[in-house]
Amino acid sequence: MTVEVQEIDSFYGDLQVLRKVSLRVDEGEVVALLGPNGHGKSTLLKAIAGLHPPTSGSVRYRGEDISRASNERIVQMGLAYIPEERHLFPYMTVMENLRLGAYNPRARGRIGENLGFVFALFPRLEERRDQLCSTLSGGESRMVAIGRGLMSDATFLMVDEPSIGLSPALKKAVFDSIRKINQGRGISILIVEQEIEHALRLASRIYMMKKGQILLERGAADIEKAEIEKAYF
Amino acid sequence: MPPSASSSRRAGILPGRLTIRDLINALVSGFISGALYASMALGLTIIYGVIHVFNFGHGIVAVLGAYGAWLFLTSLGLGMIPSILISCVAMFFFGLLIYKATIHPLLQKPNWEFSTIIFLLGFGIFLENMLLQAFGPRVKSIPPFFEGAIEIAFVRINWHEVSLVLIVIAFVVALHFFLKKTWIGQAMRAVAQEMDGARVVGININRTFSLAFAVAIAATGFSGILLGTKYYMTPHIGWDWMVKGFVIVVFGGLGSATGAVYGAFILGIAEAMATLYLGALWVWPVWFFIFVIILLLRPQGIAGGRTL
Amino acid sequence: MRKHLTWKKIAVLASLIFIALYPFLHGNSYVMHIFVLFFIWAIVASNWNLLMGYAGIFSLGNIGFLAIGGYTSGILAKSFGISPWICILLGGLGSMVAVTLFLGFPALRLSGIYIALLSLIFADSLPSILTQTRKITGGSMGLHDIPPLFPGMERIHAYYIIFAAFLVILFVIYRIIHSSSGLAFMALRDSQDFATSLGVSEYKEKLKVFAWSAFLTGIAGGFYVHYLGDISPTTLAIEPFLLAIAMMEMGGIGRFPGAVLGAVIIVFGNEFLRLAGILRLALLGAVICLIILFFPGGLMQLVDWLDLKIARIRQRRSAPATS
Repeated sequence: MTVEVQEIDSFYGDLQVLRKVSLRVDEGEVVALLGPNGHGKSTLLKAIAGLHPPTSGSVRYRGEDISRASNERIVQMGLAYIPEERHLFPYMTVMENLRLGAYNPRARGRIGENLGFVFALFPRLEERRDQLCSTLSGGESRMVAIGRGLMSDATFLMVDEPSIGLSPALKKAVFDSIRKINQGRGISILIVEQEIEHALRLASRIYMMKKGQILLERGAADIEKAEIEKAYF
Repeated sequence: MPPSASSSRRAGILPGRLTIRDLINALVSGFISGALYASMALGLTIIYGVIHVFNFGHGIVAVLGAYGAWLFLTSLGLGMIPSILISCVAMFFFGLLIYKATIHPLLQKPNWEFSTIIFLLGFGIFLENMLLQAFGPRVKSIPPFFEGAIEIAFVRINWHEVSLVLIVIAFVVALHFFLKKTWIGQAMRAVAQEMDGARVVGININRTFSLAFAVAIAATGFSGILLGTKYYMTPHIGWDWMVKGFVIVVFGGLGSATGAVYGAFILGIAEAMATLYLGALWVWPVWFFIFVIILLLRPQGIAGGRTL
Repeated sequence: MRKHLTWKKIAVLASLIFIALYPFLHGNSYVMHIFVLFFIWAIVASNWNLLMGYAGIFSLGNIGFLAIGGYTSGILAKSFGISPWICILLGGLGSMVAVTLFLGFPALRLSGIYIALLSLIFADSLPSILTQTRKITGGSMGLHDIPPLFPGMERIHAYYIIFAAFLVILFVIYRIIHSSSGLAFMALRDSQDFATSLGVSEYKEKLKVFAWSAFLTGIAGGFYVHYLGDISPTTLAIEPFLLAIAMMEMGGIGRFPGAVLGAVIIVFGNEFLRLAGILRLALLGAVICLIILFFPGGLMQLVDWLDLKIARIRQRRSAPATS
């Protein structure tokens, strides 16, 4: 398997946000992480990405323990985190943002190839390549965020609510592009989403998380939207 | 009508005795000091932009670089270029050392905005007085790079001053290239603009901070050398340079290199104009006045929030 | 739980009694002078601490508050022959008005580093203003022959009067900290958004803390000039500034009696610093660096540690059965 999270705890100060969370993503899979807001989904992603290390338990990537690895090392190893807030560099152009996505040494040699893929996926970005990111629309900045993550030559992508706040048409476009990323390049994906229907169609397995714990794990085909919604409450 | 009266009347904007020639000389002089100020303000901007620490020891760093070069020149008898190079390299490592030993630990604790400033202030005073001990209070200066002057139309400029402006231009261009085209420079810009985003793309924040600090210290030391060729130095002159630097970076917009450069030229010329119209005694009040006005009316400065 | 006499209270009481009796115990005139300086600087440092440590406002200009109060009081007393007591009050008010206008109001819109810079400029520009107004203020020569608090005032009188002022002002500061305003300051310092959401008026509280800090420091300035008899721009030089910073640091920023403890050490320690001669400032700078690096909590950190130790000893004594 690509990523294996075993029984991790995470705290913000004295507040425990993750309780013995375990999860796995296999090679080439798309796994969706569902659940109400503020219950630890983003924290879980950050724990894997090395941005907020767990206090106990382990995170493994292709067998190697990355629980305490630095963010630099983790990106270098091929895990990319695409945050909900995007965190683009506002006074840099789309092109500069994308290029910075390839900051890690392994990705630097493959900038041309990855850039081609990103522009093929998001033609609009190529049009706007010299535009400052502070002037982009919501959908466009989402695309740059995803593109920037791809530029790191990642083999595992963690995407945090990519479609939030977008119009239905844009939502569909975002999910289509994530599907293309997974199928076109075999990149394993862990996606946090509130759009249950889209998530069920995209993912092969889903986890549901509530109050910092994993409530259930199912194959996407084995569960109905209604059942998930019920579990939210 | 006497000829002199008519020529100044034609000038229109000048009081009695001053002529167009004086005005142009002042503009040129202001431009040259502006260039020197620009080189000095950049170091301050980099540290604030990337690390968000305001270097209250900025002045003494410039003086240190200058004294270092002076030392290599006079005591070790090295040539001008080796002296400058060694001084800058030494300042770079000095910056790295200071960052790792003191700034980095302070940043991990709460109240770092405050504690770093107090530390740098105290450290600056310490260094200034140690320099005073080591070198004595008598003024020093670094010899100019070139001798002689040229006279174009009304203006007499030293070749040295021309070289200073060219050096500063080269320096600014080099810095621009560094920030925009090298990976580490881009990393510094990324950290300055959006630190979370920098983490996401795998930038090592700590290493970026330390390099930014070291580069800024070296740059400030270099600017001190340039200033030392034009002005007489004592360890205390760092304060004057520092306060002017503060005004410039706030005027230009904290964290903006472009703002700092423009601000430096504008204020350099403003200073020259003030000296021309009001006399040398009014120079400091003018700097203060500009500072207060900017802080009250537009604290974000020319650049208005745009950063490195 | 019985409110017992803590060791801290005993220590404070003992110190106060010692200070009150000192003139009769030993009565060295020079030492009394140092004590008076200590009273005044303790006031300055405590008010600075109120602004920085409690309200979280990064001010670098409090020496200016002292100077404005002192100069105002001195000029009024000298030029108009008004009773020094009233002058001191007016000095405090003058300082309060100047600071609220030039720092307080701008502080409403500026934050962090900008306030620090503005307050630095505020204090830094005063010497120039003093020079420009030399007819009234005596310029770089300063004001001399300022009338004492009352004719025929001797050092011992000044000692007790200023000691009393010290006690009163510290009590006022203590009350401010423990009032609803004080809580409001601290809430603003720790989390501005949360505080505002609770209805704390940031504007009102910021102005209040500037006003109080300036008023009380200005009054200290008034006592200062009527005790020493003169004042000059050297009060605004780098050295007093660094000394005041060192006092707050040493005591522990944001802890009430800390500044007073810091003032004790620095004012009395300064006498030893004089021995270092030219290296004085270098030493001061080094001390400031070392404290902020290794003892950011200052002496209050030490006090807390002692507190813990003593509490543990007490615990062990009162429960001997448990081993």
